[in-house]
Amino acid sequence: MITTQIKSELQHSSSLINKATDKFTSDPRHYQITFLLIFLLFGITNLGWEVEQFKFIVTFITCLSTQAVFTYFTNKDFNSLKSALISSLSLCLMFKTNEMGTIFLAGFLSIASKFMFRINGKHIFNPTNFGIIITILLSGKAWISPGQWGSNGLLLLFIGLLGLTVLLRVKRLDTAFAFFITFVGLSFIRNVVYQGWPIDFFFHQFTSGTLLLFTFFMITDPVSTPSHKIARIVWSVLIGVVAFYMQHILFVNGAPIWALFILSPLTILFDKLFSANQFKWK
Amino acid sequence: MIMKKLMTILLLCAGATKMSAFCGFYVAKADASLFNTSSQVILARNGQRSTITMWSDFKGDVKDFAMVVPVPVVLKKTDIKVVEHTLFEMLDAYSGPRMAEYYDNNPCQNYDLESVSDMAYPSSMARGAGMQEESKSAKKEVVKIEARYSVGEYDILILSSKESVGLADWLTENGYKIPSGANEVLEPYIKSNMKFFVVKVNTDELKKRGTSAIRPIQISFNSPKFMLPIRLGMANANGKQDMIVYALSKTGRVETTNYRTLKMPTDNLVPEFVADVFGKFYHDLYRKNMKREGGNNVYLEYAWDVSMNAYIKCDPCSGTPPEIAEMMTAGVDWLDFDYHYNTYNGSVFLTRLHVTYDRENFPQDLMFQETPNKENYQARYVITHPAQGPFDCSEGKNYLSSVYKRRVEELQELSRLTGWDVSNYADYAYTINGFKIPMESKSTSTKNTKNDTTGFISKPNNQIGLPNNGTITSENPTKEAVFNPIYLDDDNKGGNNSADGSKGTDAYYIVALGAMLLLLFMLISSRRKRESV
Repeated sequence: MITTQIKSELQHSSSLINKATDKFTSDPRHYQITFLLIFLLFGITNLGWEVEQFKFIVTFITCLSTQAVFTYFTNKDFNSLKSALISSLSLCLMFKTNEMGTIFLAGFLSIASKFMFRINGKHIFNPTNFGIIITILLSGKAWISPGQWGSNGLLLLFIGLLGLTVLLRVKRLDTAFAFFITFVGLSFIRNVVYQGWPIDFFFHQFTSGTLLLFTFFMITDPVSTPSHKIARIVWSVLIGVVAFYMQHILFVNGAPIWALFILSPLTILFDKLFSANQFKWK
Repeated sequence: MIMKKLMTILLLCAGATKMSAFCGFYVAKADASLFNTSSQVILARNGQRSTITMWSDFKGDVKDFAMVVPVPVVLKKTDIKVVEHTLFEMLDAYSGPRMAEYYDNNPCQNYDLESVSDMAYPSSMARGAGMQEESKSAKKEVVKIEARYSVGEYDILILSSKESVGLADWLTENGYKIPSGANEVLEPYIKSNMKFFVVKVNTDELKKRGTSAIRPIQISFNSPKFMLPIRLGMANANGKQDMIVYALSKTGRVETTNYRTLKMPTDNLVPEFVADVFGKFYHDLYRKNMKREGGNNVYLEYAWDVSMNAYIKCDPCSGTPPEIAEMMTAGVDWLDFDYHYNTYNGSVFLTRLHVTYDRENFPQDLMFQETPNKENYQARYVITHPAQGPFDCSEGKNYLSSVYKRRVEELQELSRLTGWDVSNYADYAYTINGFKIPMESKSTSTKNTKNDTTGFISKPNNQIGLPNNGTITSENPTKEAVFNPIYLDDDNKGGNNSADGSKGTDAYYIVALGAMLLLLFMLISSRRKRESV
């Protein structure tokens, strides 16, 4: 009698766990949120980032409320708040400013760009990318700190690994690799083969967490990348080339982020040239 | 071992004293033993224009002094200047880590006694003397002399080359002793189309000036690269080198883009006696902090708007803020002057960065970016002087007990910051301006106590709640004891650099483990899902 009761209790609880895990694994955005949160906490506890609670709070409130308002007046699919959560986390990780107004602007622009620059259900710009770049240009009071991650290989390996699991779920591995291989390959040819820098010089520049976050969490956003596989690869290679040029010839800080901003609108063109089924968050 | 050597060679820290070596390397013309231990650089950045002023305390004979700095363009004569070293001394004294002192009020008296003062530490420079000048014609086919100038006491060549071996040979043939391995270090700069700014001292000119001291040299050029070449300096260096960078910018803080820029701990309350040994204190604090955070970071020691826009330039000031003329000498050329009202528009932001670099931890030159971050920051340590007695009112008794608590915390903080063994300084916590603190509330004080004339109970002969449980061996800590602190850990004893960033590594393993578990969990759950389908 008692054993059956325990059995049913166990079954019940295990089915609860199953349900929870199913729910978690049902949407790749859940992974993304978890991983970005881990990076943020890690940065604060181990990389000496300042705890800017107030900034974080403003970022989250701005992103989520903007998303909620826009969603209310459009498709009323409040599942999209998860995307806003990802945008806020990305902003907390990459975007630096001392002014609340600037944070508000970045948060608002990130989310609003999704609704304002939209063709056939696809975003012309990557939301966070758009928010960061436009706020830097408009306010002049914001910046990105590529140096904040230090250069510990192990950490970066894990950003990569965790990013990989997300990419497997959203099927955007091709985008990340096409970009990464192009960018790293061109840099290798220039720095090591041509200029003769030692190999640790070369590795040092790829230990920037900002680059890996960009590769695995930003450029691969399925809603702002071309839908066709070949188009996607060509598009990412182009971003790699432009990023390389900006970084090594023009000496622009955070070159990949600028390159993505410049080339994002090409997505629309590529989607016209190569037709394919569009990605939908589940 | 290297650290130990460094500690004895230079009392670097704060107001740093002995500095030597620029971002280029020294090439000795004789077998003079040269140490590239540390240097100071002022970087002024206006858009694409960089002005770099370099100064070192060159310890050898000036006729052996030579410097090679990679520069992106062929410099014109007007781009090269010699400035007075007082510029560095002023910036150093002004922006160095500082100590603030506060005074308690006597709770038993009615008058106010409060003030803030500062402690600047001495900044001394000593230099050798000597004279010689020499130059030979270049092997035209490999090394091209782009320009040749004489500026102040310096003879300057701007060289360009197609290959590193040729350049190294040329330097050797012209009497420079090139560090072994210089070829490989020069190669990437040549391939990056960089020119080489080669400096020697013209001893006759130096004689004419009637001095033996060489002055800082300044170069200006336009380039999108905002960087300092440190790699050449590592070619002939023994171990770690220290460099202080004073960056002057238009909008806000300057930070490194390829290394972490971390703030030094600040506003920590430390014991009064630290004032006597502030240099040593900051040195050990810096080393311990570096040990904790890892050897591959750049440390922020000061950040402040130093233009007319800012009314308060420091709190407290450890030196006079830079005058407009001094900033202009350092390369600040973006201010709009209104001579009628004797004022100007525009702002100047000063960032002081401290970096300790070696080949292993710094594979790349330092790359910088100017940020709009105008937040002020200073590395500041605070001592609090207790009130003078007598403390014969009831508030006085409570006051002494609060001072005791504060002093124990100060000692713990000191130990945490520097790794010093503070158990010898128990007396510091118990005796306040000659008054013993009341000990009734302290459980450890029940034994071995006696009443004294002030009506308070004197300290026990036993341990107090200090961080390590060492017994009190000296009741009256002497200055010598402080000057030769006993370290609780290895951080400042020198040696063992391999353990740099040990705390970080532990955390990495924890994160790694967590990530592994997460991956495993996801793998299992996705497999189970597939099975169920």
